[in-house]
Amino acid sequence: MSKNLDASKLPDYSYEFKSPLWWGIIGLVTVEGTVVATLIASFFYLQGNHAAWPPAGTNPPELLLPTLSTLVLLASMVPVYLTDKAFKSGNPEPLGRLPLFSILLALIFLAIKAYEYGGHIDFRWDTHAYGSVVWLMIGFHSAHVIAVILKTLVIVYLARKHYFTPEKRIAVTVNGLYWYFVAAAWIPLYLTIYWGSRIWG
Amino acid sequence: MIDSASIPQDKETQQLEQTWGSPPGFFAWFTWVNQKNIGMRFIVTGFVFFILGVVLALLMRIQLAVPENNFMDPETYNQVFSMHGITMMFLFAVPVMEGIAVYIIPLMLGTRDMTFPRLNAFGYYIYLIAGVMMYAALFLKIAPDAGWFSYPPLAGAAFSPGLGLDFYTTVITFMEISALVAAIELIATIFKCKVPGMSLNRMPIFVWSILVMSFMIVFALPPLVIASLMLALDRMAGMHFFTAASGDPVLWQHLFWFFGHPEVYIIFIPALGMISSIIITFTQRPIFGYIPIVLSIVAIGFIGFGLWVHHMFTAGLPQLGSNFFTASSAMIAIPSGVQIFCWIATLWGSKPKLDTPLLHVLGFFLIFIIGGLSGVMVASVPFDLQAHDTYFVVAHFHYVLVGGAVFPLLGGLYYWYPKFTGRMMSERLGKAAFWITFAGFNLTFFPMHKLGLDGMPRRVYTYIDGLGWNEANLFISISSVVLAIGFMLTLLNVLISLRRGIIAKDNPWNADTLEWATSSPPPSYNFRHIRTVDSRYPLWSGTGGLEQNPVVTGIRSDRREILLTSILESQPESRQPLPGPSPWPFWLAVAVAITFAGMMIHLAIPLLGFLLCFVAIAGWVWPKQVEAAK
Repeated sequence: MSKNLDASKLPDYSYEFKSPLWWGIIGLVTVEGTVVATLIASFFYLQGNHAAWPPAGTNPPELLLPTLSTLVLLASMVPVYLTDKAFKSGNPEPLGRLPLFSILLALIFLAIKAYEYGGHIDFRWDTHAYGSVVWLMIGFHSAHVIAVILKTLVIVYLARKHYFTPEKRIAVTVNGLYWYFVAAAWIPLYLTIYWGSRIWG
Repeated sequence: MIDSASIPQDKETQQLEQTWGSPPGFFAWFTWVNQKNIGMRFIVTGFVFFILGVVLALLMRIQLAVPENNFMDPETYNQVFSMHGITMMFLFAVPVMEGIAVYIIPLMLGTRDMTFPRLNAFGYYIYLIAGVMMYAALFLKIAPDAGWFSYPPLAGAAFSPGLGLDFYTTVITFMEISALVAAIELIATIFKCKVPGMSLNRMPIFVWSILVMSFMIVFALPPLVIASLMLALDRMAGMHFFTAASGDPVLWQHLFWFFGHPEVYIIFIPALGMISSIIITFTQRPIFGYIPIVLSIVAIGFIGFGLWVHHMFTAGLPQLGSNFFTASSAMIAIPSGVQIFCWIATLWGSKPKLDTPLLHVLGFFLIFIIGGLSGVMVASVPFDLQAHDTYFVVAHFHYVLVGGAVFPLLGGLYYWYPKFTGRMMSERLGKAAFWITFAGFNLTFFPMHKLGLDGMPRRVYTYIDGLGWNEANLFISISSVVLAIGFMLTLLNVLISLRRGIIAKDNPWNADTLEWATSSPPPSYNFRHIRTVDSRYPLWSGTGGLEQNPVVTGIRSDRREILLTSILESQPESRQPLPGPSPWPFWLAVAVAITFAGMMIHLAIPLLGFLLCFVAIAGWVWPKQVEAAK
């Protein structure tokens, strides 16, 4: 028999792009990114059918509050990044608490969105096409923020049970990636909703 | 692969069997995750829907056999033709191709399972629930009735009140999750689970085709998901995406065909891979032009996204845009042509064995070339304006879809059946079935070209006497019975051969790829020994074939574990433990179905569904070790 290839010395964990789970989350993010692109394409396509966008009689949404909330959401990436960095250099301790700050910031973001769309804009989802596409974008993104909050809570809980080690950290990595995606996907949506119609309206 | 039967190895074989086996029992059935179990479920369920789709087609042909027939009322006819399209495109073609990929790809790569076994199971249950819901709607006579493409405003709330289109919008929205998860998983598996030595440039062409198909799914299906969600919201929440009042019905056409045209290639590209596998095996020689063929498949994957507007030439779009899409529609003939010439070159002077799988490939050549020629015709705007919405188009797309996908698929079925079941299908019955199917297909669909040029529109439930369409319609209806008999004979062959087929050897066709290097059917762990490969045709290389190659040792057999390798060179990197059987994929599929289908009952149910999904996902990923650590 020829020389064999011994795999027993290989690690039984992997991380970053060596891990299938990393590719899995990249696939998920690509799918969701395509959804975001579709929403934005639909927004501008529908704009082409209207003389004014938002349609006459509707004011475009205010800028200040959504811009602040955008900064809050972007800031929520920082604790995720710091956690990941500490974890990679072998310090698992921040994982049990740092992501909670991210969750807090994401909740503030959601609260501002709820305030804004709970009565401080002058259109509904069934008013016109503009209302429909904006509400769908907001709904789609908010659902993702809620999902990533719930997911991160599970991660924090498991971290407090000492489930993760710096080697077996792929679940933490992909959760972080997903957090970055949810925060970053907001940027094109924000620019489309709040700036798109100001620039091309 | 012949194992040396020393005693410690036998012990390990038992251990492997115990680790990878799926638990018996009715309830345990819902926990299975093994890739071969799930792949087989996709294939069997897909063919069940195929039979249902054929039955619907026959019902339509009964109705259309004579003018002013009243076998079906117009409402029923609309539901039947819509469900025929929905069944064949959503419930048969894509799932069955994925099923074969899920079953065969890990074997071809020389690994023991896919990277996310539970996700596989989840995808299957989503598909099953969606299919059952659609047919439940049909039997209750509330099936969608606006075609498989469901154009608004016809499909909107104003012109299609009632539950039919609600079923369509909600079920399509979540059903596509099934194809998306399978695609992501196939990509991850192909990237990370190739056996050591199987670098990218040694990957079988079938694997390449599945990789390209998966990438196409990832980019083509999300627009459909979001479009059908928009249509659902238009209908149920009074929103205005596609209404004439404020939205735009043509937006639906763009989003639908941005999915719909790549969809054609999503089912055609795996078929290309099957054809290459079959041609290599039955000519017993390496493929001519491996690199041009692979590049052609990749090129088709890209160009396939630049064609969608040719479905919309009559929608009144700017002329310049239409010209672009005419050009790209013609351009896709180039990579398709490159492949066909490579296949011809492989077949040239090779004395191929004319067994049933290869017969289907040759049948594909003829039918698909006719479909391609009528495709070049409808790709030009002036001709399309004339032929649009006539039976000419029906003839064209059945030639490309049945010729391009179903014939290779049946060839693939005959080819891999011994691997699936351990028995050969009957060659005599297979050849008879092929010729009857081939004749029945051409007799059914070729006259439709003429019928379309004579002006008969599609999707009409009847036609009046005296338009000169009577003879052709009657002829087509009779021919369609011949075609159905052909399909039925293949099905019969499948069933009879299960018990009475000749026992298959490990490699009955003397093929070149790794799925033939294990027993037929493969054991639950796929391979007793994982052997490295050193060529594109591992079972043909060297004098001793695969037996001479080094074995990978040290992969644990007391838990489900696979070897991960690097993407390009397939160097061993790590060992990956895999999860075992679990009921959570089933429960998550139920929760997803509640989330989306619940919209039909009340718009608050999706919120409940969202929470149920979270519970199911948490249960799914919850690690066992945490409980143990306490």
